[in-house]
Amino acid sequence: MNTLLHTLRCIGFATLDRIAKIAALPEPEAESELIDLAVAGLVTRLPGEFGGWGLTDRGKEAASKQAAAELDATGARPRVLLAFDEFLVLNPELLDLCTAWQVRSDAAKVLALFADFDRRASAVIADVAAVLPRFGRYRERLSAALKLALDGRTEYLTDEMESYHAIWFQLHEDLLVTLGIPR
Amino acid sequence: MILPLSPHLDEPAEMIGGKARGLVTMMRLGLAVPAGWVIPVDVCRAYLTDGRLSGGLVAELAAAVRGPVSVRSGASVSMPGMMSTLLDVSGEDLGKAVEAVFASWDTPRARTYRVLHDIPHGLGTAVTIQTMVYGERGGSGVAFSRDPNTGEPGLYGEVLLGRRGDAVVSGGSVTEPLSVLPPGIGEELSEALGRLEGHYRDACHVEFTFEDGRLWFLQVRPGGLAGRAAIRVAVDLAEEGTIDRRTALLRVEPSTLASARTPRLAATTEIVARGVGACPGVASGRVATTSDGAVRMAADGPVILVRPETSPLDMHGLAAAAGVVTARGGPTCHAAVVARSMGKPAVVGVGSHDLAEGQLVTIDGTAGVVAPGSVASVVTDADPQLGTLLGWAAELAGEAGDEVALLTAARAVLQRERENAPE
Repeated sequence: MNTLLHTLRCIGFATLDRIAKIAALPEPEAESELIDLAVAGLVTRLPGEFGGWGLTDRGKEAASKQAAAELDATGARPRVLLAFDEFLVLNPELLDLCTAWQVRSDAAKVLALFADFDRRASAVIADVAAVLPRFGRYRERLSAALKLALDGRTEYLTDEMESYHAIWFQLHEDLLVTLGIPR
Repeated sequence: MILPLSPHLDEPAEMIGGKARGLVTMMRLGLAVPAGWVIPVDVCRAYLTDGRLSGGLVAELAAAVRGPVSVRSGASVSMPGMMSTLLDVSGEDLGKAVEAVFASWDTPRARTYRVLHDIPHGLGTAVTIQTMVYGERGGSGVAFSRDPNTGEPGLYGEVLLGRRGDAVVSGGSVTEPLSVLPPGIGEELSEALGRLEGHYRDACHVEFTFEDGRLWFLQVRPGGLAGRAAIRVAVDLAEEGTIDRRTALLRVEPSTLASARTPRLAATTEIVARGVGACPGVASGRVATTSDGAVRMAADGPVILVRPETSPLDMHGLAAAAGVVTARGGPTCHAAVVARSMGKPAVVGVGSHDLAEGQLVTIDGTAGVVAPGSVASVVTDADPQLGTLLGWAAELAGEAGDEVALLTAARAVLQRERENAPE
């Protein structure tokens, strides 16, 4: 599986430093590979303040195909489907928590609920990672965001590009892409 | 164990739930409520302990209830959207439906909601069971005694013709204003809401269905207004003599004052799409229907991103846009959370719409509306009712710094008065 292609499919347009960090690649290596993918017509770069690297329509198609191939090759579909059902139960609760964080003032209470939620979310992600190890990255990234928030950097709940909410939504997108479920 | 709904039912909301209590109130006021029964909360508590319904309850349900019915949760406190509602349940499925509502009390999401709102886990929910009325043979909607966005007096609401109530509440469908109701129904709603306001001494809203020309009331809720609407209604009710000035002051949270001056569109503005306001403020710009397009167009001027819903693939579009509109989703959807984190006006859940790429629009994230063009009539002043309220606060508390401090001081005076008052 081409990691960069898949990463871009799940995070959307992003700057080189973010892409490299999420894909766990050194920046020069990521950049050189992005250029190769661009030459192949799978990746494009939008200029401007809000631009960055992202997939073309052909790139999206290629990303869907390789995700489907990986799922078939590993025989992981039944376990991922089960975990996705559990994800769908957790999802509205996480959205409630993010909204509560933004519109309410009892910070300590909401933070404690995030920590409790994270324990249950970790178990579900571990189920997927047991058959598709790349999902383990979501546990690491979500834990890192939560730890920052608990240490006082509370912008890592909903406001940062690498916030708990942003990572959670990338996980959602990844599960949909992996299972071939349209939004 | 089952109690029939009737005007004579005296059990408090702690026992039969807020929803059933409201139904009883409506019956007492002479409003048409579909026949029904209520299973009190202690039955739910027993279920949560035993993990099953008692045989006695199942037999009692079978004997008393004729289907098809609706089965809804109803705790003594409101937990909107957290628990199950089942429609068109026939006799043999009734036990299962009641069990599903009881079980929905204990989902992790509902538990988290209760921790957030200081609701004890052991409280439990009542269940109301009512004879089905079919909006398919008329329509369903929500009606407010005063505009929930502005507090302006007069009937306000939305209706789905030919549909059931759950379609209105779940969002995503395009509702119509109450002016499309058949002759007589709107007048009947106004008259009923007037009676309910008199009873509750507050603004109210009802869920209703009309079937073959007959109007039925399914739920009533008093209060619940936010922002400038809460201020206007409290002051108007005091000036109408429905409540006293002290009560009006106690009804307005000081945190509400900030939103009274958030820019908004004038009430007269033409509206082309209506949804839920998810982040307050006004923004104008050209419609971009893709996030890539939003990034490109943002170089030439402000852009409003209009999407069916948003996902991580829209982050660059959300960053580039001055505001966001989605067809689907509610106040906790991805677009709503991201827009609030970026402080950008957002309107979500507008349903199907005719907004076209490049079209100039203005959105109001308080009222949840989209207007054509670049609207100049943006209001930044507070309503006159705010000045009136602050005048009453000053009579009690004297000079107390800014308006939040003044209202807080006046409310403290009133709370002390209440605590010291002889029983």
